[in-house]
Amino acid sequence: MFIAIFFKYHSEQVYELLKVNEYLGGLITMARRRKPLAKKGRDDDVRVISGFILGSILTVIMLVVVIIAPPATIGPSEGELAPDFSADAYNGVNWQNFKLSDTFDYEWEEGEKGEWIVVQFIDTDCPYCWTEGETMSNLYSEWSTTVEFITITVELSITNHDSNRAEVEAFRDKTSYGTEENDGDGCNSGRNDCLNRPGTPHNWNYIEGSSGIMRDWEITGTPFLAILQPNGYVAWNQYENSGENIEEAMERLVGGSQ
Amino acid sequence: MIEALADPVLIIFMLGLVASSYLMIVNSDKKTTSLMMSSLSFALVGIISSAYTYIIHNKMVVQGSTSFCSSEGIVQCGSVIGDPQWNNLFGVPWGIFGILSFSVLIFLSLCLYLDRHAKWSEDYLNYSLWAGMAGLPFVAILIIIELTQVEGAPHICPFCTIAHVSLIGYVISVYLLRTRRNMGKWSENEG
Repeated sequence: MFIAIFFKYHSEQVYELLKVNEYLGGLITMARRRKPLAKKGRDDDVRVISGFILGSILTVIMLVVVIIAPPATIGPSEGELAPDFSADAYNGVNWQNFKLSDTFDYEWEEGEKGEWIVVQFIDTDCPYCWTEGETMSNLYSEWSTTVEFITITVELSITNHDSNRAEVEAFRDKTSYGTEENDGDGCNSGRNDCLNRPGTPHNWNYIEGSSGIMRDWEITGTPFLAILQPNGYVAWNQYENSGENIEEAMERLVGGSQ
Repeated sequence: MIEALADPVLIIFMLGLVASSYLMIVNSDKKTTSLMMSSLSFALVGIISSAYTYIIHNKMVVQGSTSFCSSEGIVQCGSVIGDPQWNNLFGVPWGIFGILSFSVLIFLSLCLYLDRHAKWSEDYLNYSLWAGMAGLPFVAILIIIELTQVEGAPHICPFCTIAHVSLIGYVISVYLLRTRRNMGKWSENEG
C-alpha cells in the first residue's frame, strides 16, 4: 500500500528516473519534442523610449515654429490681435464679403499715422443699441477721415430679438421697417419703425455676425465697442474701461477730432 | 500653378512621400520592417507638413501674408490657411490638430518598430489603424472646404494636401502590416 501511495505522488519523478537510466544505458534515444517558442519582446519597455523620442521631435518642431513664426495672442482684450472674421457685409448698396484683416495695415508702427478701426457689436432689437445709434453717428461725423467704422450685427437669444437682413438694412440706412406700435415688428424689440432710429444713416459696413464671431470676441451682451490700432491690435475694449467712454478713448488714442 | 508646385520645400515633402511609398511597395526579405518604416516615414512627413501649415497660419495672422506659400491661383495656401472662417476648429488652427494627431501615430509606430514582439504589439497595431482611420473623415471635410467653401474656391493648398496624403499613406501601410500579421508573416523569417 505504501508503495502504491508513493507511486501515486511520485510517479513523475520515478518515470523521469527510469528515462534517465534508459538514456544512460544507451538503449533508447529520447527526443523531446518542444513546442516552438513564440518570439519574446525586449526586456525594456520601448514605450518609454518612444515617448522620449516623440518628445524630442515635438520640442524641435515647436522651437522651429516659435523661431520662424511665433503665434500671436488673439482675442478682444487690449494688447491682443483682434479676432479675424470673414462674413457678408451690407455697404448701403448690396451685401458683399468682408474680411476684417483686409482693413489692417500690418506695416503700421506706434506713432505713425494710420487708419484706426472702431468695431461695434449691436443687436437691432436691443434698446441700448437703438440709442447708441446717435453716438455712432456723432463719432462718424467727427472721425470718419481717420477711422474705419465697422458694425457687426448679432442676434441675442431674447424674445422679440429676431432680425433679418431687411431689418439690418433699415437700421443702417434709417429706412422704414416695422411700425411704431409695440407689436414686435421693426427695430428696438419691435417697438419702433427703424426709420426713427436716433442719429443719421450710418455710412459704413454692417457685418452679418454669427455665433462664431461672438464667441471669438467674447461678446456677452450688446452694444459692445472696441478700438483697434491700424495694425489690428486691440487698443481699447469697453469691458476693460468702465471709467472712460468711447469719445474720451477716441480723443486719447486717435487724437483730436476734425 | 507650376510656380506653386516648384516650391523647394514642397518638392522635399513630395520626395518624402515618394520614399515612404517606395518603402511600402518594395519587395524585400524584411517586408515587415519595411512596412513599419513606411508608416513611420508617412507619419513624420505628416507632422512636419502640419507644422509647416501652422507656420504659414501664424505668418498670415500676424503679417497678413507670407512668402512661404503662394496666395494666387488655384494651387495656393493664402485663401485656405488665411481664411479666418475655415482655418481653425473651435479656435485651434488645423496645423496644431495635425501635429497632435501625427504625434499619436508616430508614438504607436515607433513602439511597434522598436519592439514588434512585445505583448502589446497587436493592440498597438490595431490602435494605429483605428487612429489613422479616425483622421480620414477630417481629411475629407478639409478637402471639401478648400474646394467649395473658402474665399474664391476652388483652391488646393499644397502643404495641406501633403499632410492629407501622408495620413492616407499611413493608413494603407498600417493596413498592410495588420494583414501581414494576421497571415502569420509578422516575423521576418516567416516570409
